[in-house]
Amino acid sequence: MSDVLWRRWTRNAEKFPDRDAIVHWRADGCSRRWRWSELLADARRAAVYLRSQGVRPGQVCALIVRHHPQFYPLYMGVVAAGALPAVLAYPNARLHPDKFVEGLAGMTRRSGLDWILTEASLEPVVGTLATGAGSTVKGVLLPFESAWGEPGDVPPARPNSSDPCLLQHSSGTTGLQKAVALSHDAVLGHVDAYAESLGLSPEDKVVSWLPLYHDMGMIAAFQLPLALGLTLVQLDPFEWVTAPVLLLQAISQERGAITWMPNFAFNLLADRVHEEELDGVRLDAMKLFVNCSEPVRSDSLRRFLDRFSHLGVRSEQLSACYAMAETTFAATQTAPGVAPVTVAVDGPASPANRGTPRKWVSSGKPIRGCELKVVDEAGVQRPDGQAGEILIRSQWMFSEYRNNAEDTRRALRDGWYYTGDYGFTAQGEWFVVGRKKDIIVVAGNNLFPEDIEDALIGLPGILPGRVVAFGVENEASGTEEVCVAAETELEGEPERKALQLEVRKAAMRIDVTISRVYLVPPRWLIKSSAGKLSRKANRQRILDAGSK
Amino acid sequence: MITDRLKRTILLQLGLDDFDLRDDTVAGEVPGWDSLSHVTVVSAVESEYGVRFKTLDLLKLRNVGDLQALVDRYAAK
Repeated sequence: MSDVLWRRWTRNAEKFPDRDAIVHWRADGCSRRWRWSELLADARRAAVYLRSQGVRPGQVCALIVRHHPQFYPLYMGVVAAGALPAVLAYPNARLHPDKFVEGLAGMTRRSGLDWILTEASLEPVVGTLATGAGSTVKGVLLPFESAWGEPGDVPPARPNSSDPCLLQHSSGTTGLQKAVALSHDAVLGHVDAYAESLGLSPEDKVVSWLPLYHDMGMIAAFQLPLALGLTLVQLDPFEWVTAPVLLLQAISQERGAITWMPNFAFNLLADRVHEEELDGVRLDAMKLFVNCSEPVRSDSLRRFLDRFSHLGVRSEQLSACYAMAETTFAATQTAPGVAPVTVAVDGPASPANRGTPRKWVSSGKPIRGCELKVVDEAGVQRPDGQAGEILIRSQWMFSEYRNNAEDTRRALRDGWYYTGDYGFTAQGEWFVVGRKKDIIVVAGNNLFPEDIEDALIGLPGILPGRVVAFGVENEASGTEEVCVAAETELEGEPERKALQLEVRKAAMRIDVTISRVYLVPPRWLIKSSAGKLSRKANRQRILDAGSK
Repeated sequence: MITDRLKRTILLQLGLDDFDLRDDTVAGEVPGWDSLSHVTVVSAVESEYGVRFKTLDLLKLRNVGDLQALVDRYAAK
């Protein structure tokens, strides 16, 4: 039966009025527990408020909010009002306000944002968006500064299940982010199918520190429990990264069953939690720790298992998933209750990892409604064990990047989504091994090297246009780090050190941390046959030079 | 007032030769000191002073001055 989000949530509230829908977790113990009945009542109030401000069905409401207990009814109120929520990242202190507004303005034009819903502290920064030339923004609202009114008098929005229900943005650093509009059918159909793959039960609790602007946080950790009537325990991402043990404490106290996190988080937890902080913590009751959103590393899973086995972590709780916003979320998932399969491939498993033998961790099998294949450059399907680009066809697939016909044409061909990821199949399982694109994945966030290079071009000391950014795996942290190679004529050590510092500072303004700056002499960087600086070739040259 | 010892520990962890760290310097102003590396900076400081900070104390830190005060408080215990 076709369904829409609000109807599904209303049914859950009728079935489980007194069950916790969301526990807004706080490290200081002052957590806010939202029961289903009160959450829906507040969401109706939020809808009344939004309508009174002029928000209309079909319009897009961008939510830029930190960890806030009223976020959840506000988000659901946007849906109740028939508008489309789009959660955007709250800018951190490193990001220069001008860069933030510039990125937001670009996103506004491209995605067609109608309203900005934010906190009072951000109003001076984003306030000008509503008046900027060519802006689609009709107003900046501060919903936590107003009373929301009484529930019940919202003119009901009656969307069709095929209508879009939310906007999801790809991650990145500027207005280059691409927006995917997902329908009610896609979100609800997907989370129902994905829940089958995970073997979830009605009493299971999701515990998550993930930010909600990320598809893993939004779809897996937020939409899935809301649609299924499960409880979500939501931590503050900023608090978690400061004190990773909070996740384990929340899981233990709330008896959580499932959590998703990128690979680096497994390392962070294994390496940075003190034993004395784990007093009383038990992790036996967990069903799944799902590793997703960046390449799954066998070493990270092993370290996590070794570190926490004394608290009840078992190999069969470890799990992996391959997912992206374009397919709503998951394309493949390992079977619950079974440790992910690992294979060692010595040959050229991937064009991106030619000749690098290593252990690959399975990302599982396609979930219901999803079909995958691996093709070579000519589009011919590859046999088992041979790597190529992964293509996906799914019932829950996006239909377009919003207002971006060019990227849509490039990515969607003959009903298949060209992921730009390299992978192979073996023993009926899917393995993701590299990327065709130059994207750098840091802690689960995609960074575009173009953005980083743009921020550095024009720095005194760097030859014009002679800079490349690329990612290099850091085994210790379990993620990639950003490196930059730049040509310079500077030869003195103090001048070169000063330039390296300036490069790092310039990247900070777009909220990117550069781990290494390689200064090279003029005409050192390699160009591709198309005459552009090649990131892959220069990355390899730098790594080769470092290994000698 | 930030001591040379704390400054040296932080800069060494971040791979910086020098940087002007003051009481009101926030992590976001220092190259390399982001939300991901913060936990490694804290670990380096804990190792240097032989202390272990409580989670709630860490969550209250706003700037380097707060970190210095926390170090002083724990070291005095």
